[in-house]
Amino acid sequence: MKLSELKAGDRAQVSSVAAEPAVRRRLMDLGLVRGTELELLRFAPLGDPIEISCNGLLLTMRRNEADGITVHKLASAEGRQHGWQGLRKRHRFGRRA
Amino acid sequence: MSQHKTITVALAGNPNAGKSSLFNALTGAHQRVGNFPGVTIEKHEGYLDYKNYRITVVDLPGTYSLTPYSPEEIVTRRFIIDEKPNVVVNVVEGTNLERNLMLTVQLMEMEVDLLVALNMMDEVEQQGISIDLDQLEQLFGSHIVPISARNHKGLDDLLDHIVSVSEGRIEIRKNKVSFSAEVEKAIDKIVGMLCHEPALDKAANHRWMAIKLLENDREVYTQVQKYPVWVKIELALQEAISECGMLHSTDPEALITEDRHAFVRGAMQECVRKPKTTRASASDYIDMVVLNRVLGLPVFFLVVWAIFQLTFTLGKPLMEALAYSFGLLSETVAPHLPAGMVRSIFVDGVISGVGSVVVFLPNIVLLFMGLSFLEASGYMARAAFVIDKVMHRFGLHGKSFIPMITGFGCSIPAIMATRTLKSRSDRLATIMTIPFMSCGAKLPVYVLLAGAFFPPAMAANVMFGIYLLGIAVGLWTAWLLKSTVLKSDSEPFVMELPPYRWPTLTSVVFQARMKAVMYLKKAGTLILGAVILIWVASNFPRSSALDAELATETARIEASAVALELKAEQRQKLEARIDAGQLEYSIAGRSGKLLEPLIRPLGFDWRIGIALVTGLAAKEVVVSTLGTIFSIGHAAGETSLSEILRSEPGFSKATALSLMVFVLLYIPCVAAVGVMKKEVGTWKPVLFYSAYVMLVAWIASFITYHLALLWM
Repeated sequence: MKLSELKAGDRAQVSSVAAEPAVRRRLMDLGLVRGTELELLRFAPLGDPIEISCNGLLLTMRRNEADGITVHKLASAEGRQHGWQGLRKRHRFGRRA
Repeated sequence: MSQHKTITVALAGNPNAGKSSLFNALTGAHQRVGNFPGVTIEKHEGYLDYKNYRITVVDLPGTYSLTPYSPEEIVTRRFIIDEKPNVVVNVVEGTNLERNLMLTVQLMEMEVDLLVALNMMDEVEQQGISIDLDQLEQLFGSHIVPISARNHKGLDDLLDHIVSVSEGRIEIRKNKVSFSAEVEKAIDKIVGMLCHEPALDKAANHRWMAIKLLENDREVYTQVQKYPVWVKIELALQEAISECGMLHSTDPEALITEDRHAFVRGAMQECVRKPKTTRASASDYIDMVVLNRVLGLPVFFLVVWAIFQLTFTLGKPLMEALAYSFGLLSETVAPHLPAGMVRSIFVDGVISGVGSVVVFLPNIVLLFMGLSFLEASGYMARAAFVIDKVMHRFGLHGKSFIPMITGFGCSIPAIMATRTLKSRSDRLATIMTIPFMSCGAKLPVYVLLAGAFFPPAMAANVMFGIYLLGIAVGLWTAWLLKSTVLKSDSEPFVMELPPYRWPTLTSVVFQARMKAVMYLKKAGTLILGAVILIWVASNFPRSSALDAELATETARIEASAVALELKAEQRQKLEARIDAGQLEYSIAGRSGKLLEPLIRPLGFDWRIGIALVTGLAAKEVVVSTLGTIFSIGHAAGETSLSEILRSEPGFSKATALSLMVFVLLYIPCVAAVGVMKKEVGTWKPVLFYSAYVMLVAWIASFITYHLALLWM
């Protein structure tokens, strides 16, 4: 599935990165290569761009850039209760349904 | 001093790694800001004397990579290759090693004399991260010096290392990162071919060139394409692509990046121990509010409002104080100068010209203190994240928003503030929208005209409409530019949200000081020249007939037997009449008349033409010129300018509306044009833009005038 199709709180692993050369390169430089695990943290107030966390970094990209990244989902937002994700869960108002 | 040996050091590293802090800590006051040749990317250069050495430090722009995709990366690469600095110091953020070391690996590939400065060691210790430096040095082959640029710790150690490396006392082992077998095979093959090309520089780093060719690097491509060996290389590249596709189902470029990541991850696993944290950090809590789907936008607008208030509300008394002191200066100087031309040149030309530039200084300093606070604290990137969708619709970047808002105060700091945008095309598009954000100097014009021709309640609506029109035209211009001439390179919104940090006062003040100096030095000379030029245009040539009339009439008034107050009043009336006559006779006046056929369809006569010409100096001048010209025949202070305008037969509601639209849209003041030229780099786009705004202003005013004639 596409990275842009994940929901806030979902975890996934990157399987491939496709974009125009400059964008693709930037994505890869920031650590989005095959095998990288990431979590979709949130969507911006207006629904675009998105924020993800990977390798301890917070990254943002627009939806059309996230469209080029294929991932496979590891865990859904509902699956985990520990850590600060749990805390995020209690503050549900910040997320997209 | 002459025994000093010189060492050139380049600072390279990721954005936010602390290069600039290190640069400031090292070079202190000995700094110069310039642009890299050909591009408007800030170049900071400074020096320090250490032991027997004069060390020149060049702060390269922050990059994630050394590809030729962005101007920052090209500048960094070219500097390292062409200028051959003695030492390249790679500034690495200790709290974020994995991403930072990706660049280190690429610098290793260039086989430069590399030294790694492991910055933010204070934070590393605070977070309980332990780093095995010896092991890391073994893996990377260059010395690693732990520092904390913010607290000035470890700097002497770093300088000692710099000296030792440049003297060759420290051996840089120049380790090689080995890639997947297929990639290595292709590299070997290409290196062999490059070695056999006699025309290629023997000193060049062939392995690096081979890697870059496999990474589709267009700069190296064009470099090698000239030679006959290219035919063979192209075949080898094709082969590598198909082999990587078959065995790894990806391309060589991605494979190389993956291998670099694998190397860095391996190094991280061996050398870095992080405590397991499950607790949310303070940054996460702040983001929960600041990036919240409901609160995000209100917080954003609050911050923008605060910056605007800081710049213009707090700046206003300072600005007025400066304007007042310049007024005081001309009053003190004037009596000591011979009356006539010389006094006028100094008082009305030089002092008011310099004054008109310097009065903006408080605004600029305050704005940049605010902006560098936002930038250094980490909020700027988040602001861009929150508002990007709206901006992107018009082809702009999330970060374009803050300069645009600032434009409502004054275009000059706003244009300078676009430096926070990294992509040149985004910067150009933003710069070109700013003059349409109606600045504070245009307000007096609207107040005068709307106030004169509309009832108070309607006047406010009219002014609001003018502001909206400006925004609409600005966004339309951005969209037009981005979908035509600036289409090619748009900054991807792929960026990092840095962790929140408290900016240090020194760095905030430092940034503001740099901007202030830059503004005064560079823009000051150009703006001053232009202001004086307009002064000359509105004072020359002088009509000797009018001069003579002034002399005889003054003598007549003085000689007449009337009360002293009456004399003064008569003299004032006379001077106003002569001034208006002289203005009409001057170059500005003549061009006003010359312009009349052009502006007639907009409802303007030659007198408004003069006001528009002098308004190029500063938009408030439109009001004072209208005052001078239209007051002919009315005693000074007898009636207000708005009453005079209302009583003019040629000045209707439609004319007022048309004039407001024209003042909103036509060429901004010379100061803004000067700063624009400085930020854009060349005159061509600025001149083209000026022609464009004139056209837009003309068409918009034409439509306004004729619609108003129909409906009112």
